Amino acid sequence: MNSIPHDPRASASASSPAEETLRLIASLPAPKGLEERVQSALDAAPRRGRVLTWPRTLRPESGWMRSAAAAAIVFVVAGGGWGVYTRVEQNQPAKVIVMPARMPAIEGFGEAGAIRTPQTLPGPKAPQPVKVIPAQPVTVKKPVTIAKPGSDGASQTGKAAAAAVAPK
Amino acid sequence: MSTSQAIVAGWMESPTSAVNDEARRRAEDSALAALVDQYASALYRVAYSVLRNQADAEDAVQEAFVRVLRHRDSLGEVRDHRVWLIRIVWNIVLDRKRRAKTRPETDDVSELARVLPSTGLSAEELAAAAQHHAHVLGCVDQLPAKERQVLMLSAFEELSSVEIASVLGISESSVRSRLFRARNLMAGLLDHERSLR
Repeated sequence: MNSIPHDPRASASASSPAEETLRLIASLPAPKGLEERVQSALDAAPRRGRVLTWPRTLRPESGWMRSAAAAAIVFVVAGGGWGVYTRVEQNQPAKVIVMPARMPAIEGFGEAGAIRTPQTLPGPKAPQPVKVIPAQPVTVKKPVTIAKPGSDGASQTGKAAAAAVAPK
Repeated sequence: MSTSQAIVAGWMESPTSAVNDEARRRAEDSALAALVDQYASALYRVAYSVLRNQADAEDAVQEAFVRVLRHRDSLGEVRDHRVWLIRIVWNIVLDRKRRAKTRPETDDVSELARVLPSTGLSAEELAAAAQHHAHVLGCVDQLPAKERQVLMLSAFEELSSVEIASVLGISESSVRSRLFRARNLMAGLLDHERSLR
C-alpha cells in the first residue's frame, strides 16, 4: 500500500516537473554516427546460413507448412481417438471381484477387547456341602377287590372300598 | 504436371532461384538500412530514457536491429514498423535494466550534466538542473513498474496512447488509467520529498 499523501488537484501541476524531465530526456538527440555504427554492426552480424534453398513449390511462404502441420495434428488426434475406441471392448461384463477372506490379525489391536483369564493350578478341592433331601412319606395302597355283581353285601363292601380309595 | 514433377522442376531451377534469392536478400538489406536510417535515433531515445547511459542505449539499439536482421523474413508481415521496433527495443532495455544493478543517483547527475543542453546556462545552473532532473528521475524510479513504464512512454510525443498500448501489449483504457495513477503517485512523491526538505 502506498502511504504517500494524495491530492488529485495537485497531480496535474505537481507531476509536470516529472513529465518535463521525462520529455527533456526523451528529446535528447542521438549521438552522431549512430546509424553508421548500427549499420556496421549489422554487416558484422552473422547471417543465417542457407545451405539449400527451398524450391519454389516448397517455399514456406506458400503456406504448405501450415497445412501440413494442421493435417498432422488432425491425423494424430483422430488416430488417438480411434486407438482408444478400438481398445475399449463393447458390452464387457462386469467383473466380479472376490474379496479375500478377512484374516484375524495376529498382532496389533485385533484382540484389544479380550480379557485375559489366568491359568488355574489343580489344587485341593473344597468340600461341597451336600443337600439333604427329606424322605417322602410312602403311602401304601390297598389292593382293590372287585366285588361280584348281584350280592348286596359284596356291593356294599365294594362301595366302602371305593369310598376309601377316593380322595378326600 | 504432378506434384513430384513440380518439386523436381523447383530443384532444377537453382540458377534462377539463386539469382532471385540474391535479389531478395539485397532488397531486404536495403529495407533494413532504411529502417536504421529512419528509426535509429528514436529507438536510441527510448533506450536512453530507461537506461540513462549513452553506451548502453546504443548497444540496445544495435541489439534491436540485429534481432530484426534475424527475423527479416517476417518484415513484410509487420504493419507498423515504428511501433514494432520500439516494442523490440523496449523489451531489450527492460531486460537489461532488470539484470543491471541499481546505479547510484550521483551517476545519473553526472551523466545528465553531460548530456543536457547547456545553452544559456552557467555551470552552476547546469549542475543544479542536472541535480533536479536526477532527483525527479529518482522519484520516477520509485513508481510501480506498470505506471512507470506508461509514464515514460507517454513522454515521447510521437507515441499516441494507442501506440503505447501496442508497445506494452495492453488496452488503451489501461494506458489511460495507469497514466492517471502514475501522475497522482508522482505528485504525492514530489510533495512528500518537498515536505522532507
